[in-house]
Amino acid sequence: MKQNAPVAITGIGCLSAAGMSLKDNMASLFAGKRHVAPPERFFSSHPVSYPVFEINEDPPPERNKDENFTRTCRLGLAATNEALLDAGLESQGMTGLKAGVCVGTTVGSTMNNEEFYRDYRRGMHPDMTIIETFLKGNPAAVIARELGLSGPCQTVVNACSSGTDAIGIGASWIRSGICDIVIAGGADELCRVTYNGFISLMISDDSPCRPFDRDRKGLNLGEGAGMLILESDNFIRKRKKPPRAFVLGYGSGCDGYHLTAPHPDGKGLKNALAYAIKESGKTINDIAFINTHGTATKDNDRTEVRVLREMLPDILFLSTKGYTGHTLGAAGAIEAAFTIACLETGMIPANAGFITPDPELGASPVTLNTHISKKIAISDSLAFGGHNAALVLGIERC
Amino acid sequence: MGIHINGIGVVGGFGAGVAELISCLEKGTINLKESPSGSPGDYASSVYLACTACLENFVQKRALRRIDHFSQMALLGAYLALQDAGSPSLTEKRTGLVVCSGYGASQTTFSFLDSIINDGDACASPTMFSNSVHNSAAGHISISLKLDGPCLTVSQFEMSVPSALLSACMWLNEHRVDQVLFGAVDEYCDVLGYCWQRFFGEGNSGSMTPLSQDRQSAIPGEGSAFFLLSKDRSPSGYGVIADVDMGRLDDKGISPSEDTIFIVGADGHKCCDRLYDDFMPPGAEAACYSPIYGSLPIGTAFDMAIAALSIRERRIFASPETVSDQAKYMIIKEASRIAPTSITCLKLARDSGFGTITLANG
Repeated sequence: MKQNAPVAITGIGCLSAAGMSLKDNMASLFAGKRHVAPPERFFSSHPVSYPVFEINEDPPPERNKDENFTRTCRLGLAATNEALLDAGLESQGMTGLKAGVCVGTTVGSTMNNEEFYRDYRRGMHPDMTIIETFLKGNPAAVIARELGLSGPCQTVVNACSSGTDAIGIGASWIRSGICDIVIAGGADELCRVTYNGFISLMISDDSPCRPFDRDRKGLNLGEGAGMLILESDNFIRKRKKPPRAFVLGYGSGCDGYHLTAPHPDGKGLKNALAYAIKESGKTINDIAFINTHGTATKDNDRTEVRVLREMLPDILFLSTKGYTGHTLGAAGAIEAAFTIACLETGMIPANAGFITPDPELGASPVTLNTHISKKIAISDSLAFGGHNAALVLGIERC
Repeated sequence: MGIHINGIGVVGGFGAGVAELISCLEKGTINLKESPSGSPGDYASSVYLACTACLENFVQKRALRRIDHFSQMALLGAYLALQDAGSPSLTEKRTGLVVCSGYGASQTTFSFLDSIINDGDACASPTMFSNSVHNSAAGHISISLKLDGPCLTVSQFEMSVPSALLSACMWLNEHRVDQVLFGAVDEYCDVLGYCWQRFFGEGNSGSMTPLSQDRQSAIPGEGSAFFLLSKDRSPSGYGVIADVDMGRLDDKGISPSEDTIFIVGADGHKCCDRLYDDFMPPGAEAACYSPIYGSLPIGTAFDMAIAALSIRERRIFASPETVSDQAKYMIIKEASRIAPTSITCLKLARDSGFGTITLANG
């Protein structure tokens, strides 16, 4: 394939608090439903309860009943199964193919089990199956192992941009010819440790989040997974599967500024967007909308809108985190899935939680479900470490 | 592939910088008791600890106060690699940053848990939290070096190095960047030592004897190895990355060029070390250097550094004396002045995963 050739997306899977499938998620988004409540799966001693977007249904059971997977892996596998079904790919049919897995996560790669560590500190004999489960729980490796895949395997841990980066890297694997198929996306579970971490940084809202609103106070955490099936043109031709969408461009850039705050001028985000748009071969006139990172923290939303006003002025934008919460390493992948679904339906949902325009931002997201006619959109992510990533996605090849 | 290695920075129990690594390779051993960081901890008899004191040659001491040991090891590796490459400009060329780690900032992760357990949920430490994320090392490097190009952190346990290197090389091949600062880092902490004790017993107070079929001899290590990579030929003499591959052994075997010399990543875990007998090509020549840097998920990065040094120095270092020669293939036990045309670093994992990195004269 040519260096900047569009990479076909043939299947999509997605689950979050907004729904257990992409279809259910989109129905919630367009109906304006928000499933946000205090956490039920863990206890917190904070005097104030910070709400989360928790998945209340159990993810479908894994194929291999003998393995005890982490919740992150189960979420990732559930999204993968939906995506494979959508792509018309049976797992048995993938054996022997050059099939890779590239998955973003944060919690899914961290050895921070509180139960184990409390027992360890007390000098007790902690249960080592917790550690064994962690050591067998690398999200990309689990998906590859469950499906019997033999290609490259990569768990991207770029914090909150991981899902976006994983899709961009997966597209590179297809273009370079090292893979016929790549399962690319992100997965992350809600975790008490992370919950406390974000509250400690004073960037969590004790009410449902309000991206881009004047009175926004921070994010709500969420959990979920999004997976895309990326395929080479040769493989698509062989199995005569029409693509559902395309990765047209991917860009990444770091701020080199601060570990947790974005560069005030959005230096890295600008670089990421500029590269992604250049790689796509499109102009800003081709862009229907931007599915922003939009966490509802003061800093993120200020920086992001500043960059969008400068680089992509007057283009519709929204954040979907008002429906899913911030799903960390999964966010970029879930939002890429939403972006494609919106292009397909010709409509974007209202930015949940937004009421009052912020004069400091000078621009507001869409407040109603809004029709769109163009076939290309952008999904971007900002992350701890000053990392930024952007995808240009389209439902037409050119 | 043809990716040139322009500079190398290494930090580990052997010391800091390529000269100290070469010195230990020539001696064939390191003295763990001389480890400058002090106590190996409560659970391990010996540990290959890394000292980052010389990071003050590159970064002001004041700026290091809020940077943990994990990120300091990464920063030191990065600065040493740039120094080794002749301190090239990072702003005139598009520079990417790719970092990998098996376990991430382990000690800081548990320190953050300490803050919750000791003081309650409402008193969790924000500094510990922000430094505990896996990409904190990449974040600190990008801030310190003022990088604004693409950035990636990968965590794939023992396969972290080949997996991340694959993406670094891809960025260069697709001209996304002109050069990549690529590195790997892992740290030791007491909880890790405790887990080793539970999984492997009382620990090894002797020497690592990798490839012995009946002895668990792994000793935990920590450190970092960084490389400045580009498509441009450089005077470094480290050769080129000719190929990077990874996958599962039950589906496809390794297929190296016939004249390649192997560096096997066996590190004293007997369950993994046995695998090399099953999958190494018969008659192959192989060296093993893990007794120089210890057992850690990113050990392959040290093997890659040693392979590059072998190509530059036109010699093969002897495997340390303690490396077992019970293998079904030939273990290189004597140093030789034979200029290698190709060296393949091979890592095998318990879950049937494999990774290869092949360096060649270039």
